[in-house]
Amino acid sequence: MSFLEFLETRSSDMVELGLEHAGVVALSVLLATIIGVTLGIATYQNARARGTVLAVTGAILTIPSFALFILLLGPLGLGWPPTVVALTLYGLMPVVRNTITGLRGVDPAVLEAAKGMGLSRRQRLLRIELPLAWPVIITGIRVTTLVLLGITAIAAIINGPGYGDLIFTGLARVGTPVAVNLVLAGALGVMILAVLFDLLFYTARKLTTSKGIQ
Amino acid sequence: MSTQAPPTAHPERAASSSPGLSHYVVMPVVLGLSLLALYIYVSLQELDSIEQRSLNAARLTRAVWEHVQLTGVSTALTLLIAIPLGILLTRPFTRRIRPYIVTVLTVLQAVPTIAILVLLAVAFLFLGFAAAIVGLVLYAIVPVLLNTMVGLEQVDKSVLEAGRGMGMSRSTVLQKIELPLAIPVMLAGIRTALVINVGTAALVTYINAGGLGDIIVAGLSTNRITVQIVGAALTAILALLIDYLAGLIEEALRPRGL
Repeated sequence: MSFLEFLETRSSDMVELGLEHAGVVALSVLLATIIGVTLGIATYQNARARGTVLAVTGAILTIPSFALFILLLGPLGLGWPPTVVALTLYGLMPVVRNTITGLRGVDPAVLEAAKGMGLSRRQRLLRIELPLAWPVIITGIRVTTLVLLGITAIAAIINGPGYGDLIFTGLARVGTPVAVNLVLAGALGVMILAVLFDLLFYTARKLTTSKGIQ
Repeated sequence: MSTQAPPTAHPERAASSSPGLSHYVVMPVVLGLSLLALYIYVSLQELDSIEQRSLNAARLTRAVWEHVQLTGVSTALTLLIAIPLGILLTRPFTRRIRPYIVTVLTVLQAVPTIAILVLLAVAFLFLGFAAAIVGLVLYAIVPVLLNTMVGLEQVDKSVLEAGRGMGMSRSTVLQKIELPLAIPVMLAGIRTALVINVGTAALVTYINAGGLGDIIVAGLSTNRITVQIVGAALTAILALLIDYLAGLIEEALRPRGL
């Protein structure tokens, strides 16, 4: 059976696994964004706090995903919960880093002007700093998404959702004709999702960036 | 585990000018305490015969050593291929194909590492240490190549002009000006590759290539949680240790004045 015929017979599988894969990544990216942007806002003004949060989130990203999934297996069991927790942890670093870089990149003169106009600390953050830092932050979220799409493939080891299932099923059938098709389908699925998410972020960045800085 | 071209895994550390003592001490202390905790945890357990087969000094040392070899050999080969290729792809005669190459590399980075390893196994029945090295190198080439290209291209063109004006040949400009100025970005890419390799080496057990993944999988297949935890914790500690050492080397190699 050729690869295209294989994809045709498995098309409903491909769509279902794709939705799972995209879903678990989207959920984890959302959580990582909420936590990461909050951490970034809380620490960007203090050199020591900033250094610590970047070192810790960077160290998390260094832990091999296979190891982290297994360590979470004990407390969280199989399937979605350990997958979402691990992916969220992995997703923090690019978001935190870009939030801090973005907020620190805001021109001090602009902040001075906002202060002079009588804006409170909170108003300055919400109306001046975050909108100006947003293009950098959303780039961090995009990097996080691409990283997590790849890591999700390994979550199949702990019965996690997504295209990893096809890859590991292929591995289990090594030597049979269907094995190559299974693995190729899994890899192709992840690549297609990567391209789709990238287009999504390209559009989202254009739509959500303040008109003044486009 | 893939990061895009200019934002590499550890840019903030590159910005720290005079790090304090804690910068150097915290990580080794944390790793030492983790090892100690792991040791105490295991020695408090009654190990059955299956657990003893995996959790003994000889077996664990072999797994760690295999893991270090996989990481070291694959990273060295990655550098041997990717850095010359990166230099070649930033020379004037490749200018027209360069954007296409960068696009292709970025898309390739989205392929999960596990897919590359498994594909070697199922498509070519290529298993064992050599297959693992090929898989690791194929994946880690991308960050090193991209960072070499980005590092060389961000060098101020007027500095190169000045070098040429001083009568340097093209190859002298490359050696004396371009490469030293590109080193910080290149080092970041190399460290990213190292981290990717040490992580992916945990998965090569699935293609019979050894490493610490062997311990984890032995724990999974026999349903022994202690064995799983030891394998996973040692993998994590080794990865953090290698990244820490790479960070020290990165700082030592960065040219002064940058």
